[in-house]
Amino acid sequence: MSILRRSIGLVAPFALLSLGACGNAETDSVQVGYRGTAMEQNYDHGDVKKQFAQVKIPTSLPPAGESPPGPLPWKNVQVLNDISVGEFNRTMVAMSTWVAGTGNCAYCHNVANFALDTLPSGKPIYTKLVARRMLQMTRQINGQYSQHVKYTGVTCYTCHLGKPLPNGLWFYSSQTDYLRHYLDRDGARVISQQIAPSNVNRSSVKQTEWTYALMINQSKSLGVNCTYCHNSRHFASWKEAPPARVTAYHGILMLRDVNQNYLSPLQPVYPSTRLGSQGDAPKAQCVTCHNGVYKPLYGAQMVKDYPALWGRPDWNGVPFQGVGTLVADTTAKAPAPSATVGKKSAALPAASATGSMVGGPAGGTR
Amino acid sequence: MLEYQNLFTRVQVRTAPDPGLPLEDSPGARLGTGTFSYLAGKFGDAQFGPIYLGTAGLFSLLFGFLAFEIIGLNMWASVGWDPIEFVRQLPWLALEPPPPQYGLRVPPLNQGGWYLMAGFFLTISILLWWVRVYRRARALNMGTHLPWAFASAIFLYLAFFFQPLIVGSWSEMVPFGVFPHLDWTSAFSIRYGNLYYNPFHALSIVFLYGSAVLFAMHAATILAVARLGGEREIEQITDRGTAAERSMLFWRWTMGFNATMESIHRWAWWFAVLTTFTGGIGILLTGTVVDNWYLWGVKHGLVAPYPANNVLTPEQQQLLRGRYQGTAPDSFPSYVAPQPAMMLDSTALIAPADSMTADSTKTDSTTARKTP
Repeated sequence: MSILRRSIGLVAPFALLSLGACGNAETDSVQVGYRGTAMEQNYDHGDVKKQFAQVKIPTSLPPAGESPPGPLPWKNVQVLNDISVGEFNRTMVAMSTWVAGTGNCAYCHNVANFALDTLPSGKPIYTKLVARRMLQMTRQINGQYSQHVKYTGVTCYTCHLGKPLPNGLWFYSSQTDYLRHYLDRDGARVISQQIAPSNVNRSSVKQTEWTYALMINQSKSLGVNCTYCHNSRHFASWKEAPPARVTAYHGILMLRDVNQNYLSPLQPVYPSTRLGSQGDAPKAQCVTCHNGVYKPLYGAQMVKDYPALWGRPDWNGVPFQGVGTLVADTTAKAPAPSATVGKKSAALPAASATGSMVGGPAGGTR
Repeated sequence: MLEYQNLFTRVQVRTAPDPGLPLEDSPGARLGTGTFSYLAGKFGDAQFGPIYLGTAGLFSLLFGFLAFEIIGLNMWASVGWDPIEFVRQLPWLALEPPPPQYGLRVPPLNQGGWYLMAGFFLTISILLWWVRVYRRARALNMGTHLPWAFASAIFLYLAFFFQPLIVGSWSEMVPFGVFPHLDWTSAFSIRYGNLYYNPFHALSIVFLYGSAVLFAMHAATILAVARLGGEREIEQITDRGTAAERSMLFWRWTMGFNATMESIHRWAWWFAVLTTFTGGIGILLTGTVVDNWYLWGVKHGLVAPYPANNVLTPEQQQLLRGRYQGTAPDSFPSYVAPQPAMMLDSTALIAPADSMTADSTKTDSTTARKTP
């Protein structure tokens, strides 16, 4: 009896171990570096399935029909004044569900006069002012940060997910010092590029801890581990790092631009309830778009259907359907916007100095 | 019930507690007369006390208590004196060293002054405890192996004080706190280019793991020959056919070489002592002689070359590398008190019609207009 009991005690742990490998707990290991260096990503089947099921992509609206000929009728359109009337209205409808969530125009507009930036009471509609800036930001991201967003691009829905407030907005506090430091203004590098100590690099261990915090923040935001972007034996090395690191680096540059030039300056526009305890505007971080996934919305290319947000007349070399001719129509009457568009599309591919650096493997292509 | 008895599984005798040897020139006195604990008897000797504290011990406890209180109260203050949050967040709470901008100057209390004070008291406490260990060893006419082994551990502890001193900043010291000191360990390794390529770190790990293996080998061997009286080491050393001879024969047959009853303890002592001693040397060399251990490893052929993952030209790498932050000691981490952000185009608010003219997606429109 006691022998039996003892043998059960011996076998039970092994049985549990082997059972753990069954069913949904299975993981996929994807090699991302040289063999034998533990450069791999582990994906839990159950977790990935659950997360994937949670991502809901709104069906894109039917293409805009023919627009009435003639000059654009707008009075106070400052960003989307280079697209057709039909496309404009279509984009507005999409935004009302992506951001306001309710399809309610009054969330941003004075419905008595859509052109106004103020309510009937004369008070500015802050949501409209913010939305206008966000449209500029979206075009900036899609146009200037192709090193990060590639042809997937971003739409309002990428961050907003049908809610007025995106996830992961952050404010200044002692807990977010590291975010303030790096996403807001500074660099993250702390490791020396030479053997001997010198005054070239006097980074402190505390500074390293902030970098560490930023890195863990990115890792959590993307649901990946260190080796997704680094060879952990030498974190500083670009040569040994997976190409995804270059994509992530441009993401940091992008966030810095977004926070400094688009989100923080909106501070005077917001009502005080939208501001942080130190009176600062809400700012974005990696998780705001990524939401725990290595590619936001698992790489759904929503922007393909919304030329107004892409800001260029073609997507991945394919002209937007119908839009090109419509824009051409407006060109005849108003030459400036079309010239703008043409110039922009020519200028953009070479926009970034590091543009040709990592032509092949994008961060999310595997 | 039959039970096998030897020195390790002894019968718990209850009698008048043994007061210990009378010592001639022992300063101070032993406290209490001793008592028995059944539980203590399960792990070792059932007698508990009398205990000798002495002057060094008393002051060691006093300074240790001071350090403990400073650390604990600072942690408690950091959660706004909320007792529930204190317990809930305790593993993440810390008493941090001064920020880098203070260098080796004395900071205000809430900027690391408390930290330096706690560190000072803790160091005094540890050193006084060493004095006590040394004095007790001498009083019992023992060798001083224990105090010197303890001194090796203290050397590692002090290395974490001297390294920041050489580097020139209190901020490099280890924070007090459960997870914070572990985070510091990671950050220290990352900052100095991966401590695993530090040969003294490697030696320290060898001795640490080696200590565990030796401990297991020795303990298992002695327990295995306990049925032959193996725990009575001294009288067995000279006898033939005894537990001692068998235990040595076992290792000679298994691996050709065997330690002796005496030398195995020297092995264990040196492994334990060298763990902290080599570790301390490794710390002292880091940031003072070598700033990037990985690159040091590359230079000295320690690093296995792997094919590059990324095809980047040196110019592209340079571009990505960017610049170092904080060339002046006062400028990092450059914390700036938040200021109200100014809108780039603040006229937008006054005249909404002209708002957001700084649309970077349309910056070329003016130039484009000139060339129709």
